[in-house]
Order: sequence, then C-alpha cells, then structure tokens
Amino acid sequence: MALDFLQIREQVRQLGENAPLREQRLQELRQQTCMLLESNAHRIEELRLKVQDVVRSHDPSLRCALPVSEALDDRFPQPDLPPQTTVLAADGSQIAPDRHAEVEYGLTNVGVIRMVYGSDAPPETTAFTRLFYDEDLYTSTGMMSDALLALRRDLNERTMLARQAAQATPPVITFTDGLMEIYASKELVGEESSEFQKSLAEYLDVLFQMQSLGVITAGYVDKPGTNLVVRLLEVAITPEAEFSEIKKRHPLRGVYDIDLYYPLLGAGERSPVFAVQSPSSKVYTGPLSLHFFYLNVGRPGRAWLARVEIPAWVAENPRMLDDLHAVLIHQCRVMGSRPYPYLLHRAHETALVSLQEKEQITAMIALELRRRGVKVGEQSSKQAAKELSSRARYEG
Amino acid sequence: MTTIEIGRMLRAGTSGFVVGCRVSQLNLPSFGALVSVPLEDGYQVYGLIHDIHIDDDGLVRQLVTADGVDAAVIADNRLNRNVPVEMSVLTVGYQQDGRIYHLLPPRPPLSLDMIYLCSAEDIRRFTADGRFGYLRHILRAKDLPVGEILAAHVQQAQAVHASAGNPDWAVSATKELIVLLRDDYPSLMSVLSALTDVFPS
Repeated sequence: MALDFLQIREQVRQLGENAPLREQRLQELRQQTCMLLESNAHRIEELRLKVQDVVRSHDPSLRCALPVSEALDDRFPQPDLPPQTTVLAADGSQIAPDRHAEVEYGLTNVGVIRMVYGSDAPPETTAFTRLFYDEDLYTSTGMMSDALLALRRDLNERTMLARQAAQATPPVITFTDGLMEIYASKELVGEESSEFQKSLAEYLDVLFQMQSLGVITAGYVDKPGTNLVVRLLEVAITPEAEFSEIKKRHPLRGVYDIDLYYPLLGAGERSPVFAVQSPSSKVYTGPLSLHFFYLNVGRPGRAWLARVEIPAWVAENPRMLDDLHAVLIHQCRVMGSRPYPYLLHRAHETALVSLQEKEQITAMIALELRRRGVKVGEQSSKQAAKELSSRARYEG
Repeated sequence: MTTIEIGRMLRAGTSGFVVGCRVSQLNLPSFGALVSVPLEDGYQVYGLIHDIHIDDDGLVRQLVTADGVDAAVIADNRLNRNVPVEMSVLTVGYQQDGRIYHLLPPRPPLSLDMIYLCSAEDIRRFTADGRFGYLRHILRAKDLPVGEILAAHVQQAQAVHASAGNPDWAVSATKELIVLLRDDYPSLMSVLSALTDVFPS
C-alpha cells in the first residue's frame, strides 16, 4: 500500500479544525498592515533613512523593500503599447547526471523566442543545447552538483538573451522567469563556490552589455510569495530603541506583499517601484541595482498579481518602465483566463526536455559509444526495477 | 508522376494509415482525395483521405479564452508549435511492377514515409483500371461516412476523366455502386443521396 489514507484523514481533519481561527487572525493582521501601508505611504525619505540605519548598525542581512520616489500606495495605469518593439524571452531546462543510468551525462537546453511588435512576422524560436560529458562532469569535489548545472543553465539563458538582443532591432525588451539575480545555492561549496563567483562576474558583464545596448530587461515572478514591503513596514513600526532586536521582530508574519496590493491595484495597474535591500545589494550596484514592482495582470473582477524585477537603469527611465509595463500586460492577456507572459510560456515549451527526449539522448550516446567499440555501462538494478511496467490487464 | 508532398506517415495498418502534416501544408489535401505512398522498387500504396483532424492542447484551449488572438500568436502556433494535423486514409489498392491492384497491399507503409497527393494522371490511371474493385474497400468501412467519401471521390475523379475525354465515368461508377449495394437498400439510398448532391442532373 502506497499511502495510509486513514492517517492522512486524521491530520487533514486537524488542519481544517485550526484553519478558521488562523484565517481570522491573518485577516486582522492583513487589515492592520494595509492601514500601515496607508499611514506610511508618503514617508519615503524617512523610511529610506531608517532602513539604511538598521542595515548599517544592526542587521546587514536585512531583506526588504526600499522606497525610491513613488508613494507606497501609488498606482499607475497601463500605458499604450510601444509601436515597434522586439521582445525576447528565454527559459532553460537541464538533465542532471544520473549514476543509475547506463551512461552519465548532463545537458542544458535554453529556449529563446523572439517576437516583433508592430510586425506581422511570426515569432522565431531558437534552442541552444550543451551536452556535458566525461571531464566536463567533474569538479575537484566530485561529480557536478544539480545546483552547479542549474547555475550554468541560468547563465546560458542570460547570455543567449544578451547575444540575441545585440542582433535585434531596437528597442528591445527581454525577460526571464523568476528573479533577476542568479541564485547561489548552499549546495555550491569548494570549487563550485568559486565557479559561482565566476558565473556571477560573467552575469554582471551580460547585464552591463544589456545596459549599454539600452535593452529593457526584467525577471517575471508569477504568484509572488515575498514580503519585502511588509518587512519595510515592520521596520517602520519598530522604535529606534528596539533596532537591535530587528532580526527577531516579525509582528506582521503571515502577511505577504500581495495582500497589500490585491485590494489596491486595478486591472493593468502597477505598484510603485521599490529598490531591493538585501545582501546582494553589494553585488548588484549602480545601474544594475535591483528594483521591483507589482503588476495586476488580471482582468476586472479577477485580479492576478506578478512581481517584476528590473535593474536600476530600467527603473530610472520612465519610458522603459512604461514600455515594459504595457508589453507585460499585453503578453499576459494573450493567455486568456490564466494570465502569464505568452512568450515566457513558449520559451519554456522550447526549452523543455521531455522524459522521452532524455531516453532518446541516452540511447544516442550509448549507440555512438558502442559504434566506436567503447563499453557502455548498465542501468542500475534499482532503476530497472522502478521502470518495470505495472501489471497489464488481460484482454484475451 | 506524383510530386506534391502532403505529409509523413505516423502509423499504419493494412487497411488504412494516418498521416501527419504541419498546419501550413493543409491547403492541399482535401476530404476524398486520392493519395499514394511510393515505396521501394515501384511498389506504392494508394488510399483515400476520409478524415482530417486537428488536435488541441492545453495552450490552445487557454488561448481561446482570450478576448482576441493576435495574428502573430496564431502564426506562432501554426508554424512553430508541435501540433500536427492528422489525416486518416483508407487503403484502396497498390501498384507493383507497374500494375495496379484494387486489393489490400501486401504490407503497409512505414513510419515517416512521405505521402503524396495523386496527380490527375495518377487518379485517372487508378480509377480507370479494372472494374471499380477499390469501391468495395470504401463500402466495407461501416464506421465511416461512406456516402460522403464516395461523393467527394466521384466528384474529383469525374473532373479528371471528363477533361481526359471520358465524360461518362461517373455514370459507370454509379452503376457499379448500385450493383454492389443491391442487397443493402438503406446504404444504397444513402450513397445515391450523396451522389445526387454532387450531380443533381
């Protein structure tokens, strides 16, 4: 038997029993947070100084929103679409090395799609595939980790975008799914950690190239679960005398930023732009410093929020900001009832490596090795057992 | 000689096969059209298209919920996405050593074999050979819209024969159908009704 549903049923019952009370408490907390947003909406400079003070003197790892120039509860309507714009989106997938397979290899596949607004030409898709085999698979600490492969995939995504952006007719907008900053997994240790530093330096170069080309770039986060603005409000209500305890103070825990902006933003509207205060602020500096805004990509009566990360050179340029805002809303509307940028979905489709394709690649490698007289390993017994077909139905 | 490619073989059996093509190739084949699959050494299989269908997927189902679909998005889906059009073909005969047989072929075509639309000369040769033996394959396909397939096929073949100086081909084909269906009055009436829509006079 796979699951003991009797055990689960009891735990689900307990979960349901506590839910109404928890929801009521959260609802009160959300209302309180919304009122805090309103009362602090115009204290922009004061809040900036307060955050900077906390970071400098008490918690350098503080992660929160930093107001820039727009009031915390400002909202901005959807601008007109730019007349002619090249839009590029990229996504990636990977096959991690599997010691249970008959051959060990890794693979990254990046899909890029290009669409030109104001042109009748159909979008163009391109895939960039890289196979990792033999020595490529190892670092001084052993087999390449999943995190390192993911890092290489992320860097490839951004590099390919920059390369295509350089060849495209301006103005150019590029976006990827998720955060703009590349992720430093805790799994990356030893040589892999220094590889992260190298990849980070390459990524910063890519961003500088995009800035010099005047490219509008963004990271799109669907259904965001961050509390950066809420954390800012927690700092706002903390008396100066209690700053030393700021790491432990979370009076608004359980409330997310989207709880503040769902009631505020109408269809197509964006929130104010905030800067990101985080340890990575030391890495992404000047024109590359990270900013974000919330965007209601839903329809009237059915709001849906996304968080859009942008670098400072886009945040500080009203035309770039407007073009990005308008294009993202248009892209999401293409998808109808479940808003998400169409081109990001298509980039994902282009990049995706299916299980069937993975099996084909494994067979291709095994065939090539056998053709050259190289002994090919065997699939582990554990994997073979997992792949046994389930009991067949008798149809005779 | 048949030269217009309309797709490639997806799956096949002795009595029929399914062809896949891109949406951009779809303007050529039509319901009831005669197609051929040239194989090795002059062996080729003939069939009639009896169904053309276009599968949906999750993205297409979602796109139709949008207020409008941009021309670029439509073009992207038709040209770049892996959504093949499938055509089902009923096998009606084959050619071997230069001779046409209105029999089921010795073996079916294989995956990814290219399928061609028959030229006017191919249609004339295939349908003029023998005594309409291939019609029994159509009449045996009880699950298919037999009357509609016959009407579409007779219309296309008649146009070819008429331009080759044989205006009575459709009359001969109809007489043969009446003979073949003489013991199946409901089917005969259904087929004649469909043919009357094509040739009212």
